[in-house]
Amino acid sequence: MFWNNVKIAVRNLRKNKLFAFINIAGLAIGMTIYVFGGLLIKYEQSHDVFFEKSDRTYIIGAYAAPELDVGIEKMNTTFTAVGPIFKSELSAVEAVARTIAFEYLLTMGTDSFYQTIRFADPDLLQIFDFSYVHGDETALDDPSGVIITEAAAIKYFGGTDVIGEVITLNNEHDFHVTAVIEDVPQNSHFNSLPVMDVPMDVIGPIKSLSRLRDFDEAGEWNNWSMGNMTYVLLPDEFDAAWLQAQADGIYERLVPEEKREVISAFWISSLQHANVAIWDTIGMPVIAVIGILSFLVLIVACVNYTNLATAQSLGRSREVGMRKTMGAGQRQLLSQFLIESLVISGIAMLVAVAALELVIPLFNNAAGKVMTLDYLRTLPWLIATTALVGFCAGLYPAWLITRASPIDALREVARKGKKGSTVRSFMIGAQFAISAFMLAIVAIVYMQNEKVKESSYEFPRSEIYGLGRLETDGISEKLDTLRHELEALPNVDSVAYSSQVPYEQTNSTTNVAGNPGDEAGKFQIQLLRMSPEFLETYDIPLLAGRNLSRDIANDEYVSEESEVINVLVNELALVRLGIDRPEDALNQRFYDLDEEDTLREMVIVGVVPTQNIVGLFNAEKAWMYTYQPETFRMGSVRITHGNIIDTVDEIEQVWKRVIPEYPMQGRFLDEVFDDVYKILKYMNIALAGFAFVALSLALIGLFGLAAFMAAQRTKEIGVRKVLGASSTQIAKLLVWQFSKPVMWALALALPAAFFASNLYLDFFADRIESPIIILLVAGAIAVLLAWTTVAGHAFRIARANPVLALRYE
Amino acid sequence: MLRLHNLFKVYRTDEVETVALNGVNVEIDQGDFVAVMGPSGCGKSTLLNIAGLLDNPTDGDYFFFDENVAKYSEAQRSAIRKKNIGFIFQSFNLIDELNVAENIELALLYHDMPSAERRKRVAGAMDRMGIAHRARHMPGQLSGGQQQRVAVARAVVGNQPLILADEPTGNLDSAHGQEVMEMLRSLNAEGTTIVMVTHSAAHSDYARRTVNLFDGHVVTDNRRAA
Repeated sequence: MFWNNVKIAVRNLRKNKLFAFINIAGLAIGMTIYVFGGLLIKYEQSHDVFFEKSDRTYIIGAYAAPELDVGIEKMNTTFTAVGPIFKSELSAVEAVARTIAFEYLLTMGTDSFYQTIRFADPDLLQIFDFSYVHGDETALDDPSGVIITEAAAIKYFGGTDVIGEVITLNNEHDFHVTAVIEDVPQNSHFNSLPVMDVPMDVIGPIKSLSRLRDFDEAGEWNNWSMGNMTYVLLPDEFDAAWLQAQADGIYERLVPEEKREVISAFWISSLQHANVAIWDTIGMPVIAVIGILSFLVLIVACVNYTNLATAQSLGRSREVGMRKTMGAGQRQLLSQFLIESLVISGIAMLVAVAALELVIPLFNNAAGKVMTLDYLRTLPWLIATTALVGFCAGLYPAWLITRASPIDALREVARKGKKGSTVRSFMIGAQFAISAFMLAIVAIVYMQNEKVKESSYEFPRSEIYGLGRLETDGISEKLDTLRHELEALPNVDSVAYSSQVPYEQTNSTTNVAGNPGDEAGKFQIQLLRMSPEFLETYDIPLLAGRNLSRDIANDEYVSEESEVINVLVNELALVRLGIDRPEDALNQRFYDLDEEDTLREMVIVGVVPTQNIVGLFNAEKAWMYTYQPETFRMGSVRITHGNIIDTVDEIEQVWKRVIPEYPMQGRFLDEVFDDVYKILKYMNIALAGFAFVALSLALIGLFGLAAFMAAQRTKEIGVRKVLGASSTQIAKLLVWQFSKPVMWALALALPAAFFASNLYLDFFADRIESPIIILLVAGAIAVLLAWTTVAGHAFRIARANPVLALRYE
Repeated sequence: MLRLHNLFKVYRTDEVETVALNGVNVEIDQGDFVAVMGPSGCGKSTLLNIAGLLDNPTDGDYFFFDENVAKYSEAQRSAIRKKNIGFIFQSFNLIDELNVAENIELALLYHDMPSAERRKRVAGAMDRMGIAHRARHMPGQLSGGQQQRVAVARAVVGNQPLILADEPTGNLDSAHGQEVMEMLRSLNAEGTTIVMVTHSAAHSDYARRTVNLFDGHVVTDNRRAA
């Protein structure tokens, strides 16, 4: 009986090739997306599991205090002073280790490379059991020892047997290799974090930092930045909740008062979560969204199948009637139809798996991941999915067709009547609701992202070539010479230095007020340190007053010395200070409340418009511009004419002449922007992919159903035509049949999309103005697509010779 | 064998009430060959459907082998059907996706019969109807007459004691029609009870008894002298 049913299933597929293709293709697409989504989620959430103690390793992070207002919720990093505190306070923990990332120029003989080094506490090697090719876990005990990976060893020295080889940092500090470890896999947070964007190739001892720069091994409370990690290894009997409770206690007792305005609490997360913590940082539930969307696509595919299968099964009414007449019970028939849908679902899963084998390598390649389809592990899940899809999608049509009495079935009452048409309409509607929902969200996300991009043109980003690492000792002393030489190039318009360039996601702030000690009137102001050329280079106009100058006393800000500084502020700072017009602001003073020892007084000498320098999610903020050469990190070279590539070549020549000891690190401001924008861009591409698949499925389903329904109504159409109906009238009739469910689907989907898209828009300070119009347009597009799909078919049917239509029956 | 007593069948829609059977009394003995005749809409097919346990009467009693089945559920009727009744339809009702042998086998599929036994019986039925050489053909590849032979084979393969035929020759030309009637006659001769609805007076002559229906009533019930 079972094989008999399978045989019939296969024959039915062969007989209705178009429907079989639509059914299988639809389900296969849905399954591909669903399985891919599941694998991706699993992959993203199971990083670092190859470290033996990964299940006992936790990361100390922190929640951003509300006052901070930098568009982040929490980060899995903390101040470098926190690790040692945990270590001394919690005797029960097995190990605590920090990694602090700094970039250095590494020189091996004649070769030099810029390389981010993770400076780590020795405990790191107790927490992570790296595989040692040479050396062992005492490698970090030597204050001038470094661990390098095999890849780095080959890159630097051409081989891995390199213990004792010397690496010079920034041309002055000698280190030697104390261990070589196997490359850390791509699915480790060491290599996968988008913020680091560099593989972990070199580990140095934290102890050495005091020699390399102004850094105390005990850590500091100045900088809360991504990439500096603090790991805690717990004994088996403790868990995250325990550590969180301890961390809460430490926060209460030991975090300095003024730092509580930066972090509001510690956040303990597991190491295995580290890879996805970036989404917690910006507060977007990306992993959950991937899960929901891939599930929705699967649902759309199932509904698609159910709908078509229902329509088709009505054509087999006579078969059911005959079988019932012969004594088949509803149960036997149900199982027959369910076996059919399981066969289809099984074929679809095979197609999906084949598709995944093609898609996953492409995706890995594009996204730098090492996802695999591990059959042994995923088989139960794949089988369960196949069975569930086959069962759920096939149950309704099976039930509908087998519940009729034998006589009704033989007379094909169901096919001729309207039985099940409400449910069918409902299913079309549901499918369309989901697709339109996604389409509308994609439209909103796209428009919002475009707005972010649009706002970024506030600065001439395509004309600015940025130079990095200017804070390095050997470079900073030559900045004046470099500027003069660069300005002499024919195609260079201007050259400016600054502490940051637009779109860099860094925030340097201090608290100021109009009167000394005025705690009530204080507000946060962003600091941009710049050379006087910055305004010209970035086309920033002066609304009142003058630019800062190298020649005027008090214009230059020397930290630890200046007590009165001349500054520029933007208009928003004026609002905060309660000053109405830019002209009124000149020579007004305000005070830095964060300085403990001296009272620093700022004098406004110029006012510039409010601009969104950090961009992306951030709101426009109050900014203060000072001239403080010691803090310059970035150079901005404005190139307005001539061949850009040639000019960059010329810039490099100049650099080599002026600063031969260090290679130039340059990139266009466009790339800086794209770097931060890419998260939004990829998110939109992914969303668009989901929406495209869902909508395609819905349209394929609609097409299949329209074809089927038109065939059902062939006789009716023939009669109508004989009685004088025009092709247009017939086509309208057929199109209208599908318009009602599509319309109510929109009525549900658009408001839902409105709420969902608001969740996304909430991340942005600067939002698109009219999401409702975008939603309506997206809805209209969905309806138009639906109409076009149905109408094309309807017209073909309607134009046919009526005699053919009648003879068909 | 069958005893229909004061049987009513009423079809109700929102506006109209159609009385298809209006107090019908008929008794059919084992070995009978009954032709049911009458104009369109007189209730012939309704009577056959109820007799075949495909449908329940609205009122009245129906004794099938002395068992009152008038109020039986579909599941109960289904169980009796598959043991006792074979059906032949005007439109053959062969399943397009199954070949000739599989269509015939269908009648045994729900009988809990080992497949070897099923194959043997199907082969026997095909031989008997002269369609063995068509075993692997699909219904679409057969003529109307051949299709009806398949349908007859399907009705007899289960060795059920009763065959109900609803205008079995309605879609056939006269030569093929006669062929089918001959088959029915020989089945009857072997002891199978046959109830047949027909419009054709010529074909009703094959039966031993003719029941005439009009407006839901039995108007005449003539038994041919043997």
